[in-house]
Amino acid sequence: MQETIENKVGDLLSFIMKNSLWQFNSRGWDRRKQSEGVLTKVSELLCDEPVSKETPADKCYYAEAQCVVDGFNKNFPWLKDLSKDEIKALIHQLHERLDYQTIDASLNAELTVKNY
Amino acid sequence: MPLHEFDCSKVIPERKQHAVVKGREEDLTSCLPKGYLNTIPGSISERGCAYCGAKHVIGTPMKDVIHISHGPVGCTYDTWQTKRYLSDNNNFQLKYTFASDVKEKHIVFGADKLLKSNIIDAFKAFPDIKRMTVYQTCATALIGDDIEAICDDVMEEMPDVDIFVCNSPGFAGPSQSAGHHKINIAWVNNKVGTVEPEITSDYVINYVGEYNIQGDQEIMQDYFKRMGIQILSTFTGNGSYDDLRGMHRAHLNVLECARSAEYICDELRARYGIPRMDIDGFGFKALAGSLKKIGLFFGIEDRAQAIIDEEVARWQPELDWYKERLKGKKLCLWPGGSKLWHWAHTLEEDLGIRIVSVYTKFGHQGDMEKGISRCSEGALAIDDPNELETLEVMEKLKPDLILTGKRPGEVAKKVRVPYLNAHAYHNGPYKGFEGWVRFARDIYNAIYSPLHQLAFTDISKDDFATDKGFMTRRMISDVDLDDEVKNNTELREYTGGFDSVSKLHDREYPEFESQSAPAAAE
Ligand code: SF4
Repeated sequence: MQETIENKVGDLLSFIMKNSLWQFNSRGWDRRKQSEGVLTKVSELLCDEPVSKETPADKCYYAEAQCVVDGFNKNFPWLKDLSKDEIKALIHQLHERLDYQTIDASLNAELTVKNY
Repeated sequence: MPLHEFDCSKVIPERKQHAVVKGREEDLTSCLPKGYLNTIPGSISERGCAYCGAKHVIGTPMKDVIHISHGPVGCTYDTWQTKRYLSDNNNFQLKYTFASDVKEKHIVFGADKLLKSNIIDAFKAFPDIKRMTVYQTCATALIGDDIEAICDDVMEEMPDVDIFVCNSPGFAGPSQSAGHHKINIAWVNNKVGTVEPEITSDYVINYVGEYNIQGDQEIMQDYFKRMGIQILSTFTGNGSYDDLRGMHRAHLNVLECARSAEYICDELRARYGIPRMDIDGFGFKALAGSLKKIGLFFGIEDRAQAIIDEEVARWQPELDWYKERLKGKKLCLWPGGSKLWHWAHTLEEDLGIRIVSVYTKFGHQGDMEKGISRCSEGALAIDDPNELETLEVMEKLKPDLILTGKRPGEVAKKVRVPYLNAHAYHNGPYKGFEGWVRFARDIYNAIYSPLHQLAFTDISKDDFATDKGFMTRRMISDVDLDDEVKNNTELREYTGGFDSVSKLHDREYPEFESQSAPAAAE
């Protein structure tokens, strides 16, 4: 079971890495903000929870998140069989693995540069 | 780390850190070459200088501007007319280039007076043009001419002109990428916020990192206008100097080439709260997703969807005609910076092409992260390659086509590998749905060109049939195709004609009722 979840998270992660660009902003702190902003809304959208679109930044995260969700729903039909708690746990793991790959264990030496 | 050592670069051991092969279990934590470092001595780089990056890539596409280089005439000559960034004011910025023509005596006695008189002469020679950018070069940076002071003087004497100083001499960084950075920051520091633009829509964007190569910008502009979106400025293809001074009033920065223009988006986000949205203008699926995303931001995704449906219905059968004939072809994707990630996955998905190598001349590790994530297993990723390395790759990987610039492209031709110009295009524009079909058509024409087949015949040695005529492309490409595909009446070759841009000039755009008084992001 554990392995299946890991595989599923791996599939979702590969989809994002191939199709999205928001996770690749050039500084580590910026990447962390982006993944938090977008994946929080991905989780809300998948769980049919209200999504805030108040600020321009919120609207941008929402637009990115909706595109991710559309892609997930199209490519991973098993998602609709999961409960809300399972979806939240899945996106939480996805968030951790994305941050690990693009920030914490990244080989990109420019992530810690102070200026843009 | 799956580093790759080139046989030809064994004598430059540091080069090993600059090439990796994407293996089965590899991800970015184990597979990423070094990048954006000074070229290793002994390796003949294909890079440009920081002045070139600032002027040639970002500065010069601005259309209503006299672009003058303060330096020897050679610097400006090398950055003149080699990229096809068109403009709708009769290509003023492509036709004319200006230099202060610094000589040895100016290096000794100073070139400030020379620059001032040249600036004034240039404005007098083109009285309709009231805007100018002055570019620093190595020689004038070293002698310390104070270009800002000279330009301030001129602006005082000629109050109707405005001058932007780009202080990015050739030595200012490892490659042209340093120049992209410098001109981005200089523009936002000195010019953004100095003009208040007229807002005419509820939905206002800056279209950033787009250089109107053969009309790309006009294609995308057409989609945005059909969605009722106002394009406040384009940074910088077909872009107007004064429009770009009003960038601070947009609601969203739509960013294409993050490599060359993410800096200004990041600064506009920090200073004015305008979000940055990275998009892909190439490829059917990626472009559709991008239009949808912009629509979602403004709450007008239905308008985006209507355009996507119409365009896909019109062009998909033509894209698929080429896909059937290009499936499985091997391609080296060797552009300068951003196209390695804009094109890697779209070429594979939309056309079934396999990317066997990606390289970047001046990209950073961030570009490689995107490129490696988007291409398939087995691809060889190279940072700042030299010519011998590219020859070695062509010999070992035997690609069917190289997508690259015209200098390395000519090298490829010499070893009889077809190439398409990834920077200035062959028969673009390549953006948009129709543009992507044009690209597929150019790829098809390049790979199946009868000329390449003939080139492989060594008439001094090989026997060759004298009773047979030329093979056509179709005869070559269809030889192994199923009858079902060959006889499929749904699929067809590109039908869009030679010029895909002019027809847009006559298009009438819908008027959308305003939902609210437009408010700028603050
Ligand atoms: S490196 Fe310096 S001298 Fe050479 S083209 Fe660039 S600015 Fe001119």
